[in-house]
Order: sequence, then structure tokens, then C-alpha cells
Amino acid sequence: MVTNTSDSMAGALDMLPKKRQKISAFNEKWLIFKENFIGRAGLILLSLFALMALLSFIPPLIDPMYHPMTGVDPKISCSVGPSIHHWLGTDFIGRDILSQLLAGAKIAFMVGISSAFISIVLGTSIGMIAGYFGRYIDAILMRLADIIMVMPTLLVVLIFSSLFGQLNIWTIVLVIALFRWPGVSRVIRAQTLTLKQRPFIEAAKLAGASPIRIILRHIMPNVLPLSLLYMTFRVSSAIIIEAALAFLGFGDPSSVSWGMMLQWVWKTGHMFQAPYWLLPPGICISLITLSFYMVGRAMDEVLDPRLRKEDD
Amino acid sequence: MKNFLKIKHSTLIAITISIVFCLSCKGENETDILKIGLAEEPRTLNVWLASDANSKKILSQIYQPLYMSEPATQKLIPWLAKEHPVYNPETISYTVTLRKAKWSDGTDLTSKDVVFTANIIKDFRVPLFASKWDFVKKVEIIDKQTVRFYLTKPMAIFLTRTLTGPVVQKKEWEKIVQIAKKKEKPLKTLLNHKIEKPVGSGPFVLKEWRKGSYLYLKKNTYFFGEGIIISGFKLGPFLDAIIFKIFGTSDVAILALKKGTIDMFWKGIQPGYLADLQQNSDIRIFFSEKSALYFMGFNLRKPPFNDINLRRAAAAVIDRNFIVSRILQNYGTKLFSIVPLENKFWCCQDVDHYCESHPRDKRILLAYKTLRNAGYTWKISPVDLDGNIVEGKGIRTPNGKPMERFTILTPPADYDPHRAMSGMIIQEWFRDLGIPAYSRPMSFGSLLQTVKTKHNFEAFILGYGKLSLDPDYVRIFFHSKNDKPRGWNMSGYRNPCFDRLADQSKTTIDPNQRKKLLFKMQKMISRDLPYIPLYTPKLIEAVRKGKFTGWVEMQNGIGNIWSFCMLKPDHHTKKSF
Repeated sequence: MVTNTSDSMAGALDMLPKKRQKISAFNEKWLIFKENFIGRAGLILLSLFALMALLSFIPPLIDPMYHPMTGVDPKISCSVGPSIHHWLGTDFIGRDILSQLLAGAKIAFMVGISSAFISIVLGTSIGMIAGYFGRYIDAILMRLADIIMVMPTLLVVLIFSSLFGQLNIWTIVLVIALFRWPGVSRVIRAQTLTLKQRPFIEAAKLAGASPIRIILRHIMPNVLPLSLLYMTFRVSSAIIIEAALAFLGFGDPSSVSWGMMLQWVWKTGHMFQAPYWLLPPGICISLITLSFYMVGRAMDEVLDPRLRKEDD
Repeated sequence: MKNFLKIKHSTLIAITISIVFCLSCKGENETDILKIGLAEEPRTLNVWLASDANSKKILSQIYQPLYMSEPATQKLIPWLAKEHPVYNPETISYTVTLRKAKWSDGTDLTSKDVVFTANIIKDFRVPLFASKWDFVKKVEIIDKQTVRFYLTKPMAIFLTRTLTGPVVQKKEWEKIVQIAKKKEKPLKTLLNHKIEKPVGSGPFVLKEWRKGSYLYLKKNTYFFGEGIIISGFKLGPFLDAIIFKIFGTSDVAILALKKGTIDMFWKGIQPGYLADLQQNSDIRIFFSEKSALYFMGFNLRKPPFNDINLRRAAAAVIDRNFIVSRILQNYGTKLFSIVPLENKFWCCQDVDHYCESHPRDKRILLAYKTLRNAGYTWKISPVDLDGNIVEGKGIRTPNGKPMERFTILTPPADYDPHRAMSGMIIQEWFRDLGIPAYSRPMSFGSLLQTVKTKHNFEAFILGYGKLSLDPDYVRIFFHSKNDKPRGWNMSGYRNPCFDRLADQSKTTIDPNQRKKLLFKMQKMISRDLPYIPLYTPKLIEAVRKGKFTGWVEMQNGIGNIWSFCMLKPDHHTKKSF
């Protein structure tokens, strides 16, 4: 016989005080997450990248030559392979590739998380408003979402870049966020539509709660887990878009990102000559997006019991 | 039956022989076709509009000038002209006699065509050529082979700039010109006219252009130079045809070169490719001097760079050694004057070298002193009380206001990684001084529009990849009359003394006198710094060995008309020996 863990535990949880209920619910979900191999692997990978981002501040403190942008080894003025002083080698002007890789992790997190966060905030708010108010507000917001959804983000950012010159990293973050919210808003709207019919919302309405209060106090807590789930997927796509932009020469030239590293290895003609320069940023981009995806998949299973494996 | 078999046999043998013959002919033809890789598609084949490098490369095979630079000395020698022009100081006129030449359609190239070409440029004021013809009063036909140019005043650039332009066929352009003249915007009509099969007098003629794929140029059987000796070269062409293949990126073109799909990649190669190419025994690398100027320019029309002290501080912190040794990987030379060092006669070496051999700390110190003495202040000074270099912050201009952040515009890395990287590094050097600089690569077209037309910029890094041997560009770049939208004085430099010298240099015929004037002009620019000259890159080109011989090396590379007239298929060379 198959038992629904979350249902059975929910009954027990009702007996506990509210704060403890929340902690227990979190612990329960964490247990489910921990049991998921994909989730564990994703989290370990993600922790490694977070560690890389944190360590990125250290190399320039050891020696100015490890500054990812301006530091050059005085003895090396061309691209050389790994050595004691440069574990991953140097680029064509003698900059340390490892320092650049660490700085790239910082940029990847910054771009990925910030743009995903902005797009989730936008998508969740718009989805809740459209779902709750319905009618013409819903129609207008959802048509807007449709229009933006069919626009290819990378192409639009490329057009922006060529029109307004090079975009700085925060403009890139904002543009990515502005083009990635419609997917989230559609899902949140659908969820809001189902929540709207629930008795507790009717009760709140009868009690005289304002629409804003209903959205913030009653609907938002119920759709937030879903938003967070979507955030993990949005992080991956934001990182890929930024890397693609930088690789094509439209990134922020004053920041060292993995896409920028790939652009330099390509444009300076080292693509087939310097694997120690080409491979690390490429592998990092793949792994960080994979790790966010894995965490997202695991979270999906935590939030949706139907996706979990059935144990005998 | 026997007879029938005999006939069958002989037919079979005949067919086999003819197939073998056809195949062998095809093989021979194929080896006589030179395959060249181009980085981009030519934008136009209208000679009056073509300003991009790739269009010029194709058109240089088709349209020919009266005079041309010879490979070894770069001296001007007669090309379509038979001999050097004869100057008459009384009438201020030059008489040019033409060689017996034909257009690719078999008609004669005569003085009528030369006069017609001159009239198009003058009547329509064709932007690419007008400034070189302003001082030509009229052009007269003396006889079928002789033409005379009357000038308003003696002009030093007449020979080197005016007579080196292309000559077009009257028959081909006459109708187009007539139609254009009747239109509301004649110049626009002329420039927008699509030329599909240009009639030229060069060694090759366009046979087919498949957009996005290739251009096929066939040998011009009417080429005037075939078999004659010019400047010690017995000219061909010895090739049947040239195919120009279009490649999107250098990587693909270099792979094609390594595989043997193309025989030459007609574009400068990044030093990063060298190690790999040098290991390949089928590839030959050529290193050539370039007559080029890569520089940082400032907008002198507005703050902050209207202050000469800031420009001098900028010149002090820019480390050319770093740029040449690291960014150019030593494939280039440091530049201190506007005229490249390779142009030995005209380059003035006695100009300020702004801390050339100083280490970084000393550069910052000198720049700091220059700025401090001019009244600049800092929140955190880049030089502390003990004289140590620290990160400067919060720079204020002499009027006490914080210096606003500004951008250094550069072309994007996919257009020119050297300039993009130089911009980034210079940005960091400026920041060492607390100057809020931001490097901003932007598409080349937008960059030119911003700098040349809108004048809405603070600083930029640009370059001239093919400067003429005649240094008249020093006058053009900095004369105050060229400080206008679309004018060449992009910095907005205005100096009446310079203008006077520039005007004199234009009309001084004696080279030594003119040299003195140009040296003064170069020193003035070095002192006032509207541009900071940075470097001249070396040109690296690669070709395949074994198929063709006879590449002619000259300044600006092996991709020149001499090479295409001298290249011989390897079997051709072997046969002739």
C-alpha cells in the first residue's frame, strides 16, 4: 500500500505550535531533499562554486599579479600552461587563469541569482495579480507575458547591445530579468486561480480583508515554494545568456566572466592551442547550470509528491 | 562483325582518351585557380562607394590607377600611365601619357576615360575622392593617349593621392551618370547604383558573385601589363582565375588553410594562431610592416579632456611597452608620433616620449604631479605622504567639482581584440590615478558615428590600418577646418599655428622643405596631444606552400596587385625551368 508521507505528517503537524510546525515542515522537506541523489549532487556542486566565488577575493591579496583583470606575471608575456605559480596557466598577456576562473564564479552567481530573483519577483507578483483580479487585468498582463515570452532573450539583448553600445553587468542582469518573468507568471497565475476558489480565501474575503492583504497574506505563502523552484531554473538560463553574450563580445568588458574568458581565448587565436585556457570556463558554465538544474529537479520532487519515487 | 568490333573498340578508346583528356584539363585548370579566404563579404562593387577593406580588395583587381607604389622602395611608378608626369610650373599643369591599354570588354582605354573619371569625382563631389581633387581646376584631353591636369596651385599630394585613384570606363558609367544627374539627389543615385559586372583594366575581371559564398574572378585577357616588365617584374597574370571564399570567422578560414581548401587567408592573423601554423610544413608565414597608426584620441571640445594637463597625465600612465610586448605579443612597434616609424622619411622621432622607459610607480608619480600642479585634488591621493603608490579615489577637477565618469570607446574584441584589450588596460591605468574611466567596446559603425559625426564622446581608441606613404593625413586629421560633423578632425583640435603650417605643407612641393613643416606639425601634436599614438602592429599573413609561388612582399602585406600579377602555379614554374 502506498502512503502519502506529506498527508500523513500534515495531520501530526497540526497538533504542534505554529513556529515548531514550520521547523518540522522544513526538516521534513530537507529530509526528502537529502534522500534525493540528484539534489545532493547538485548541492555539493553548487557549494563548490560558492566556495570558488568566496575564494576569488584571496588571489589578489597574495600578489597583485593575481588580479584577474590587471594582474600580469612580470616574467610571462604569453599564454603558457599550468605551473606552480599559475595552476591553470596564463592567458595571452600573462594573467592568471585560475584567478579569472574564481572571479568568473562570483560574476556567475551575481548575474544568475540577481536576474533570477528579479524575474521571480516580477513573475510572482504579476501572476498573483492576474490570477486574483482576473478579467481585463488578467487579459492585459497575460497578453504582455505572451508577447515577451515569444521574444528570444539572447537576440533581444544582442540588439540592445548593438543599439546602446556595451551594456554593463547590471544592465545585462536587468534585461535578462525583464525577459524571463512570463514563464513564472503563467505558472503562478494558474496556482492563484486554484487557490482563489479555496474556502480560506472566501473566508478572508467575508472577513473584510482587502485584495492586497489576501494576496500577500494568503496567496503568496502558498505560491512561494513554486516561485523558488522556478528560480533555480531561471538562474541556469541567466548564467547561460550572460556567458553567451560575453562570448559573442557583448558582455561587460570591465568584469571577468567565464563567457569573457572564452571570448578572449577565441579572439586571440588560442582556441586550439590552449586547452588549459579554453576548457575550465566551458566546464564551469556547464557544471554550474547543471548544478542549479539538479537542485531544481530535487526541489520539484520535494514540492510535488507525485514526482517522488515510490518505495515498497 | 569483326569490323563492328573494331569500330566499337576504337570508339571505346576514343571515349576513354577524351575522358582522360577532359579530366587532366580540369585538373590543370583547377591548379591554376588561386583560392583566397576573405573574412567578410565585400559590401559593394560600386567603386565610388566602396570604403570597406573587402570591397577594396576585390576592386583592386579590377580598377587600376595611373600610378602605383613599387614594392621595394614604395616609390610611385607609372602603371596605366606610360611615364612620369611632366610638370609645367607656368601653367601649373601635369601632362600624363597613357600606356596602350584595353578595358576588359576589349575596348581601348583612352584619355577620354581619365577625363570622364575626373569629372565624375568633381561633379558629384564623391566623398571618398573629393578632397584629393579639390585643387584640380580642369582636366583636358590632349590626344587619345595624353591628358593634362591643371591645378589651382602647386600641390604636394597631387601625385601621391590624386593620381593613384582608380580610372573607370566612360562607356560603362556614362548612362549611369546621366540618369543620376537628372535625379534630385545625384550623388546618392550614383553611390546607390548596383554594379554587377564591373568593366576594369586590371589583371582580373569578375565572372560571378554568389552572395555569402564566393566571388569568382577570371583572368582579364586584355590586361595591359601581361608580358611587359614594370619595376623589374615581368607581369602575368599567370593564374586562370581567383576564387574569393567568404568565411565568417578567422578560425574557420585558418582551418580551411590548414586543410588546403584555400591557398591564402587575406587578413592579418592573430599571434595566437602562429605556434600552430608554424608547425605545419605546408604553411608559409609572412611578416610585413604596416603603414598604420593606432592611437587614443580625446574630445577636446568638452571636459575633462579639454585640459591639456589631463591629456599629458594620460600620456604618462599609458605604458606602450606593455601594449606592444603583451597585447601585441611583440608583433608591433611602439608609436610616438602620428607618422609611423616605418615611414622613415616623414616620421619625426624627436617628439616627446612621455615616460617611455619608466616603471609603473614612476609613471603614476609623474602623472600625479602633473595633475596636482594643475590644481586637481583627491579624496584619497594616489601617492601617500610617504611617496608610496596607493589606489587613488575621488579625483576633483581644478574647479573643485568631482570628475564625472567617462568612457573610452573601443571597437569590440571580435573586430580587433588588440584595441579592445588596450582600452580595458588603459581604463585600469587611469583608475590607478583615481580617474573614473570606463572602457566601452561598441560596434565599429556606431563608434565611427559617435566619434566622427555626433562628437558625443570623451575618449576613444581607433586606428588607420593603411595609411598612405604621403603624410598629408597629419594635416587632414588636425586642421581646424576638418572639425565638423563627418570631418576627419575627430578630436576637435584647433590651433591656428598648426593650421598655418598644415596649409603650407599642402602646397610645398620640395620634399625637404615639406619635411621640415611636417616635423614641426608632428611636434605640435605630440605637445598638445589630441591623439596619443600607441602602436603599429605587424601584419601576419599565411599562405599554403607548394601550389603557388611568387608572392611579392611589400609594406602592408603580400595581398597586393604585384603578387596577383606574379603568382605562378607550381607546375608552371617547374615547366619553365
